[in-house]
Amino acid sequence: MTDNFSRRDFLKLASVGAATTAILTGCGPASRYVTREPYTKMPEYTYNGQSTYYATTCRECAAGCGLVVRTMQGRAIKVEGNKNHPVNLGKTCVRGQATLHGLYNPDRVQDPAKQAKRGSRDFSSMDWDAATAVVADALKNTDPAGVAFLMGMAPDHLFDLVSDLAKAIGAPAPIRFGALGMFEARATLGKAVESLFGQAAMPFFDMGKSDLVFSFGANFLETWLSPVAFTRGFANMRRGGGHGRGTLVHFEPRMSQTASKADLWIPITPGTEGLVALAIGRIAAEARGGSLPTAFADVDVEAIAKASGVSAEKLDELGKLFASANAALAIPGGAALAHSNGLETAEAVLALNALVGGLGRAGGVFLAPLAPMQTEFSRPANMAEMADFVEKLKSGKVKTLFIHGVNPVFELPKSLGFEDALKSVQTVISFATFPDETAMQADYVFPDHHGLESWGYQRVAAGSSQSALSGAQPVVSPYYNTRATADVLLAAAASAGGVLAQALPFKDEVEFIQSKIVALVSESDGYFNAPEINTFTAYFQQYGGWWKTVDELSTPSGDALGKTIKVGEAKFAGEGEFYFHPFVSPVLGEAGANKPWLQEIPDPTTTAMWSSWVEIHPKTAEELGVDNDDVVRIVSEAGTVEAVVYKYPAIRLDTIAMPFGQGHTAYGRYAEGRGSNPADLFGEQVNGAGDLAFAGMRIKVEKTGKKYPLSRLESRMGVYGEALGEEH
Amino acid sequence: MTTELKIPEFSANFAESGQQGKWGMAIDMDICTGCQACVAACAMENNVPFVGEADSGYGRSMHWIRTERFWEGEFPEIKMTPYQPMLCQQCGHAPCEPVCPAFATVHSQSEALNLQVYNRCVGTRYCANNCPYQVRSFNWRDFERPEPLPNQFNPDVTVRRRGVMEKCTFCIQRIHRAEDQAKSEGREIADGEFTTACAQACPADAIVFGRIDDPESAVSKLARGSRGFHMLEELGTLPSVTYLKAG
Ligand code: SF4
Ligand code: SF4
Ligand code: SF4
Repeated sequence: MTDNFSRRDFLKLASVGAATTAILTGCGPASRYVTREPYTKMPEYTYNGQSTYYATTCRECAAGCGLVVRTMQGRAIKVEGNKNHPVNLGKTCVRGQATLHGLYNPDRVQDPAKQAKRGSRDFSSMDWDAATAVVADALKNTDPAGVAFLMGMAPDHLFDLVSDLAKAIGAPAPIRFGALGMFEARATLGKAVESLFGQAAMPFFDMGKSDLVFSFGANFLETWLSPVAFTRGFANMRRGGGHGRGTLVHFEPRMSQTASKADLWIPITPGTEGLVALAIGRIAAEARGGSLPTAFADVDVEAIAKASGVSAEKLDELGKLFASANAALAIPGGAALAHSNGLETAEAVLALNALVGGLGRAGGVFLAPLAPMQTEFSRPANMAEMADFVEKLKSGKVKTLFIHGVNPVFELPKSLGFEDALKSVQTVISFATFPDETAMQADYVFPDHHGLESWGYQRVAAGSSQSALSGAQPVVSPYYNTRATADVLLAAAASAGGVLAQALPFKDEVEFIQSKIVALVSESDGYFNAPEINTFTAYFQQYGGWWKTVDELSTPSGDALGKTIKVGEAKFAGEGEFYFHPFVSPVLGEAGANKPWLQEIPDPTTTAMWSSWVEIHPKTAEELGVDNDDVVRIVSEAGTVEAVVYKYPAIRLDTIAMPFGQGHTAYGRYAEGRGSNPADLFGEQVNGAGDLAFAGMRIKVEKTGKKYPLSRLESRMGVYGEALGEEH
Repeated sequence: MTTELKIPEFSANFAESGQQGKWGMAIDMDICTGCQACVAACAMENNVPFVGEADSGYGRSMHWIRTERFWEGEFPEIKMTPYQPMLCQQCGHAPCEPVCPAFATVHSQSEALNLQVYNRCVGTRYCANNCPYQVRSFNWRDFERPEPLPNQFNPDVTVRRRGVMEKCTFCIQRIHRAEDQAKSEGREIADGEFTTACAQACPADAIVFGRIDDPESAVSKLARGSRGFHMLEELGTLPSVTYLKAG
């Protein structure tokens, strides 16, 4: 391996060779490591005080935004968006900005290690040869049927490598999961598109050119699918992409950050979103004239008004508004789909687009293009599949479990019993970069690099009208004694020999990536073209990926309106008097809690920092006899958590909301022991697409008599109120 | 022998003197989504410390920019006022300036900005008291940033110590870098050539930064529009930030 070949040496070589060959030929692992040096000792390739910028891909969620990271003397200083990248056009979200606090987090896993006993945190460091031998042994000596891979929603290149590996040894294909995928209800979206348009695909919502958006629970300005792309779409809609200032109407039981930007927020009864969509469809269809389409024919507007708490007059107004817009768009997502009737809700909402001619129309709904090299729509596992997987673990059929890029002990509903199921698995190997809850339940932790120290690619699933593959490269050399999981697996495959070595004959991760992207060298309409793979790879690094220059959106086909959509009554698990409305923290996302600056970024709507809370309407709080900063116990049929009360004026009186993102029991000093995790309350009810019906729950609220001062920005006097005089 | 000291004079009729800002910002509240990307970007660019749970609860957090929101009405008719990113307005007539006994917060004649000179600041906090926008933050401690977090520090920006006041600088390090570059190439800075960290990150492009002394710049055009207004205009602070009304 050429790991010790520094970038400086490489550049010397490159400058010698530059005159004779295509540019940056051989830009492989040799250029991988940029050494970190004191600011007083300037490497020769930098001008004094000049920064070097590297394009790569954000790993804070699976959206695949392109980044350009400013570095100085081998340190990553600032994350900026990649202006050419079709997903984010130079912008980032709050989590992308704070990714440096993951890279330089004081609590990263620093060495490969073996844990004496699971959960003991008694780790003894190993060297990488020994670690690789453990992996090789597991791959070679476990019956392939007993090998399982559980992976996160990013990065895709590693998923591809593991898929190839699993195939080669005859093991089951890797399973992918991520809490964001669960909260987004990705499986439901895919399935609803399939049942209406006859083809499973990710829908693409052309918000920027719409003049009226009806959002049914989709938190697209927060974390949903591709928030940077949607925020751009929203801004363009508001600026009036051709039709004047666009209007947003948002249906959600609680005013989320997305709802707070709406011109009209409808605090709908949880679980009636699909019904309301049908009512709006019927009224809009009548307003447009002509015969009533089957989808909306059998709809009782009065009954729906009663069930949803949206008056018949309001429904009438909304229906006519929807019918009269130039380019109306209806978006299903988030908690609205997380009900027993969630799949039908998604269908009903998508059908609204068909009604107003919004399929394949500017400002309407399209099918998102597949990413380069992708042959069919894929999605992460839904909750039904995860439940099967956990059953399989419990049965003892899985002997060796490899986990990368996901933290199931924290992210899955506690009631599913993932942690317990691990007890039936002989060997658990985690590739975690951070000491998360799942790594704490592993026998071995073989830490992968941080995303900014890594090679890779990510397929763009939702945020771009152009087919795009986002490229990643290390922007700094690894800070700790970590190793790319792909390299560990490749080395293990090589030493295991046999079919494995044959299937993965790659010297390292970069060679593997090249073996995949070589397929793009001959493609046309690319953002760049190159005559051969080495030059292509160099451009791929330089531009931060490869994408088409032309839109490849397709128009949904099929008779979406010709089918009866039956939205049943939503079923609620549990006894309590309140609806439960969990949502992903717009600041922390699924994995931001270990980044100190993210902890101190105020939640947009409550301004709370550093903890979690439950949102209760002030009137409800008064009835319950609780106040701000009181700790209450939330009891669902599946579990119990304690959380601090935040009196939130913009929530239904019968609903309690709680952010997901805190409540870690591991994951480093900034995350551990802070707040609580709503996943501990989740049951196992799923919708028709197998996604978790996390909003289909009723809960009880009990007083505990305890208090906990919630830090928040909105009171500059401090929330410690009467305690202000006290020294702290 | 006495030397004649040139102490900058504070003129009460600054407003009439016609001095105009050079750098300005326009913030469109109709499209700001409150996403906080600007807040994180600012902290990363300017080595702003995080203070931890307890201190932030006491109101000691150090954000140079924050988004404010207020409530109007009662459920279900309740409305949130549009998110209002609040940062130093770089007042042309800044209430924070005349109260500083150490001349640590002064007006820059060349940049037409309100400067904070860290090594002059003695921490009286008069300026923070007098800023009507509440955008100054004070280093109550040497806030801890355990290794290796300091690797991320921007070497272009001073790291402030305990007892020092700080606030938004309009990313003056970026201004200077761009000015140096333009000067070395013998030209004026072009509109949009560089921008502040907040504006650069903003996924909605709600923040636009540039030369307001150039009527053709993007920010000037926005600021002139019918939706433009200044925060607490009645105080006569002559802010360099123009907000665009929502709706
Ligand atoms: S949306 Fe996702 S990929 Fe894009 S900047 Fe934010 S965390 Fe990163
Ligand atoms: S906004 Fe406050 S800190 Fe900024 S110049 Fe004006 S008075 Fe001074
Ligand atoms: S980044 Fe832009 S949209 Fe987000 S809070 Fe700041 S100004 Fe508003």
